[in-house]
Amino acid sequence: MLGFMRFVATRAAMALVTLVIVSLVVFSLMELVPGDCAERYLAFKNTQGSGISVADIEAERVRLGLDRPFLERWTSWLFNAFRGDFGDSCILRLNISQLLGDKFWLSLSICLASLVLAYAIALPVGIIAAASHNAVLNNVLRFVSYLGLAMPNFLLALIIMLISTVYFGDTLTGLFSDQYRDAPWSWAKFLDMLGHAWLPVFILGWSATAFALQTVRALMSDEIGKLYVTAASARGVHGRKLLWRYPARHALGPIINSLGFDLNRIFNELPIVALILTLTEAGSLLIEALARSNDQQLAGAIIFMLTASIVTLNFATDVLLAVLDPRVRKSIIR
Amino acid sequence: MTSETTNPATETDQKAKEAYFTASQGQLIWARFKKQRSAMIAAWVLIALLLSGLFASFLSPYDPTVAGRDKDYLNGAPQLPQFCDGNGCSLRPFIHPVERERSLATNFRWVTKVNEDKRVYFTFLPKGWDYKLFGLIPMDRHLFGVEEGYVHLFGTDATGKDIFSRTLHAIWTSMQVGTIGVMIAFVLALIIGGISGYYGGWIDSFIQMITDAVRTVPAIPLFMAIAAFIPQEWSAETRFFIISMILGLIGWPTLARRVRTHLLTERNQEYVLAAQLCGASPGHVIRRHLLPSFTSYIIVDLVISFPYMVLSETALSFIGLGLKDPVNSLGVMLQSVTSADVLLNYQWYFIPVIFFIALVMAFVFVGDGLRDAADPYSDSHK
Repeated sequence: MLGFMRFVATRAAMALVTLVIVSLVVFSLMELVPGDCAERYLAFKNTQGSGISVADIEAERVRLGLDRPFLERWTSWLFNAFRGDFGDSCILRLNISQLLGDKFWLSLSICLASLVLAYAIALPVGIIAAASHNAVLNNVLRFVSYLGLAMPNFLLALIIMLISTVYFGDTLTGLFSDQYRDAPWSWAKFLDMLGHAWLPVFILGWSATAFALQTVRALMSDEIGKLYVTAASARGVHGRKLLWRYPARHALGPIINSLGFDLNRIFNELPIVALILTLTEAGSLLIEALARSNDQQLAGAIIFMLTASIVTLNFATDVLLAVLDPRVRKSIIR
Repeated sequence: MTSETTNPATETDQKAKEAYFTASQGQLIWARFKKQRSAMIAAWVLIALLLSGLFASFLSPYDPTVAGRDKDYLNGAPQLPQFCDGNGCSLRPFIHPVERERSLATNFRWVTKVNEDKRVYFTFLPKGWDYKLFGLIPMDRHLFGVEEGYVHLFGTDATGKDIFSRTLHAIWTSMQVGTIGVMIAFVLALIIGGISGYYGGWIDSFIQMITDAVRTVPAIPLFMAIAAFIPQEWSAETRFFIISMILGLIGWPTLARRVRTHLLTERNQEYVLAAQLCGASPGHVIRRHLLPSFTSYIIVDLVISFPYMVLSETALSFIGLGLKDPVNSLGVMLQSVTSADVLLNYQWYFIPVIFFIALVMAFVFVGDGLRDAADPYSDSHK
């Protein structure tokens, strides 16, 4: 048990180090944008008619604490970020946590739902494909997988929109119906969201499924040829029982390990799919912040939170793997 | 007795075997690659697309920029070459010309109408807009055109630019962006992965920690964040190079990891020790001994990472952070398609998508085929 706690502690420390490095990258990117908050505040004042001077900008910098050295500002940003406070956006002049609200959690749930969908399809289909010697089935699956890899999700979203507008006259966009958009959370709003959210979940899950299918099939066909499977089938275990109890359990480890990167891939597609389907969540806010208003504080906060959820998932899968896999567990508790 | 009668079949067999044993690595890979039908088909598709990209200016009848626009045929539907119509058939393909009118009858709006009674025949190798083949040879001949007016095989967009010409040029742009991006990523990956794998120890752990941290950040949001810094005033060409560079700068971690893993397994081999004992410098050992040992794997990795570069560029341009208008790329062409107007009325905007799916699929299949072919043990686990 002590060994296990030590393992969890090391993993948590490693996750923390990763987050610190990521925050350095994100923060430096935010700093690289020409023009800082002080200049922007005063540029706004300038449009209101009051003249400004260089001294005014300097004074504003001191007021905002922008004159402190880079390292100091970065550490304070980092500590605040861990407390969930990302400061103010200097374009919109709103607190970022307030601005994001539950939008980030909405995006995260959509992404996690598509991850679940991907594996709900990929696990059974991949195992069947690896076990069967049906050439047609295997070739069809290979083609579908490659199509999933080759057709970026945003093209799929566009094509679904094209078909639905031509044949059904509805673009299927948005995440809420009009009457619920600004309403507080309720059961009816939740149901309304589910009615809209299936499309982004499906679209984001599409290429994730293709990837997962390939991984599952490759792992399973590696395991199926091994001697312990032959031995088990010689003992009279066969059919579904043989597949689930022997090779599938071995193949599970690497699959759990890769969940973090699958989530990463889904996050990649999220902003663009969100833009096409006009979802009102963090993904489209990110595009808004980057492509339109050039709001680096908001963008930095969103990217940091996306990465933080990937790091958290990686940590969770590491621990889960140690719990599930006796080989990993034994190697920790020595 | 039987050994005396030399069968011609076994003799050729013997020759084949001899050829097999003396074949170079490249010949072996090619022999294995040829056996995979899907990879071969993909390779032909890829070559066809590459050639059409290379000869884009020759194949496209009109300049893909605003200079070549057809101002009388905005958002025009595709015109397919015909051989037969109500007035009979002809061997030479033709189209019906489009006429534009505005009168009381059309409620004073411009209305385009196809004139079924008139024929405009195709001409081959006509003189058209000036261009430079391969950027060197000035030419003004094009593969096809029509006797008068314009022909638009894939229709036109909102400013009257020929979508067929734009698609061909966009294929070439994607190839260029992919190549530059892959090359930059490759050089970075070689340097970083090479150092990490060759020295090992704490240098390796440190570099791996950074690489892993960079890999956790979702790439496309990161691309977007960096691309957002490019000043809007920069010209389209500068933008093009910067975007390709950014793609390369972010794409290295996966490649670097592969290089490192190869190096870690190879560096303990005897031939490396021998080279070191002869006094070779680390750089020399990496370049002359270690890298050649897995060149084929590196080539495969490059082919596989190519489509991801192309897709990232498309995604970036699509949201308006990548390439900009005079440069043609799929993302630029797709920028306006989300509007309801296009979705309902101008579906031919989507034609280039087919070519890009074909391009990416061809790359994925060829890469996969190459990976199987480069792996000498691939036959055994099948």
